Amino acid sequence: MGVTWAILWKDLLGEWRSRDRMIAMLLFCFLMAVVFWFALPDRHPEEWKELLPGLLWTAYVFASLLGLNRSFALELENDALAGLALTPGNRGFVFLGKAAASFVLISVVEALTAAAFGLLFGVNLIEVSLGLAGAVALATVGIASIGTLLAAMAVRSRFQELLLPILMLPALFPVLAAAVDASRATISGLPLPFEAIQLLIVVDGIYLVVGFLTFDFVLDE
Amino acid sequence: MSNSKSQRQTLPSNPVERNVSMAIRPLGALLILLLVAYGWAVYSAPIDRVQGVIQKILYVHPPMAYGAYLGFVVTGIAGGLYLWRREEAWDRLAVAGAEVGVLFCTLMIVTGPIWAKGTWGRYWSWDPRLTVTLLLWFVYLAYMLLRSFSTGGERTARFAAVYGILGIVLIPLNYYIIEIFSGRSMHPENLERGSLGDGMGFPFLIGNLTLFVVFIYLLLLRWQVEALRADEVQRIQQGIGAEAG
Repeated sequence: MGVTWAILWKDLLGEWRSRDRMIAMLLFCFLMAVVFWFALPDRHPEEWKELLPGLLWTAYVFASLLGLNRSFALELENDALAGLALTPGNRGFVFLGKAAASFVLISVVEALTAAAFGLLFGVNLIEVSLGLAGAVALATVGIASIGTLLAAMAVRSRFQELLLPILMLPALFPVLAAAVDASRATISGLPLPFEAIQLLIVVDGIYLVVGFLTFDFVLDE
Repeated sequence: MSNSKSQRQTLPSNPVERNVSMAIRPLGALLILLLVAYGWAVYSAPIDRVQGVIQKILYVHPPMAYGAYLGFVVTGIAGGLYLWRREEAWDRLAVAGAEVGVLFCTLMIVTGPIWAKGTWGRYWSWDPRLTVTLLLWFVYLAYMLLRSFSTGGERTARFAAVYGILGIVLIPLNYYIIEIFSGRSMHPENLERGSLGDGMGFPFLIGNLTLFVVFIYLLLLRWQVEALRADEVQRIQQGIGAEAG
């Protein structure tokens, strides 16, 4: 378990010192807002409220892909990945540490993006922020866990940036279906739908277990 | 290798794969008989009063779906066996399962919309079951891309095995989503049992049986090809080693 904390701390400290990953992800999300503005011209504020959950999740998914790719690309420099593979004990704890660091990073980006989108599209998200944060956090656990497992593979293949979305998006469908459902309900002032939350918890559990158990095979011996 | 030249070209050196390869020929003979019976059964099956001749896709489409799922389950289980036992034969079976599964899944995705256009009036509806099948197809196309983009034999096998296992985890998970959003589904529920008219049961049954044998035949054939290729690579490597030595 100490390994998990050490890797979480290492990743967050590295990110804090450079801040390059977070800035790139945020900038990407803000650019997405502009893209949406041009792609969906002349909307009423009520229409933006309807569209917002879908727009937010589109931005979240692609920003997460950017961040997750970098998460392991960093480890390739100076062969740090070999060092990770030499970590004593179960490599599942390495997985948990990397996934936790990605979870923290993606969550911060998601919160700031939601604030920006609310402001830019004139939708008040302050009143619903608690429910929305809960749904987004649950979905982000799934994204960070499966993303960490797949990024560790994609980063050591040819066309790494291309491969991660292709591997990851089909696996994200359960997360997205439930997350958009829950976000839409919260933003329109309804209580969180039980089924969507249940699905998110089940998917999170499965992805964490699959990642924990199979990460051993993803790092080289 | 002590095999004579002719043996090396037709039968793999791995004992499991050699036994499997010997089953291919008899299975092919059986398949010819079944295909004739299948063609005749579908041709002579009654034409549906409401849907017309397009209903006959029923004798092709659901068996394709079973084959697709079977292929993906084979890939997942073979991948798990590879990670457990580290025998390359299992990895080669996983490749075969994925490729034949993708073939069946592709044919299912092609035949479904043809029927849907005639019956529902449009090719594609974002029905949960269609969406889930489409995503499963993407999962296994991604599996094949992962294999071709990865570098190095042993690492490719490991990565592919992990992704194949993830693939079979996704199958029940996706069906759970169908349960949740089932209110929006328009896919026939019990097409197989409930809505078959008189004289349609036999062609449906023989269609399932024939396409199951087609599946097994293609799977074994693909497995054999992969095994022979591995033997050939090993032979060439040994040749290079002997020359260098």
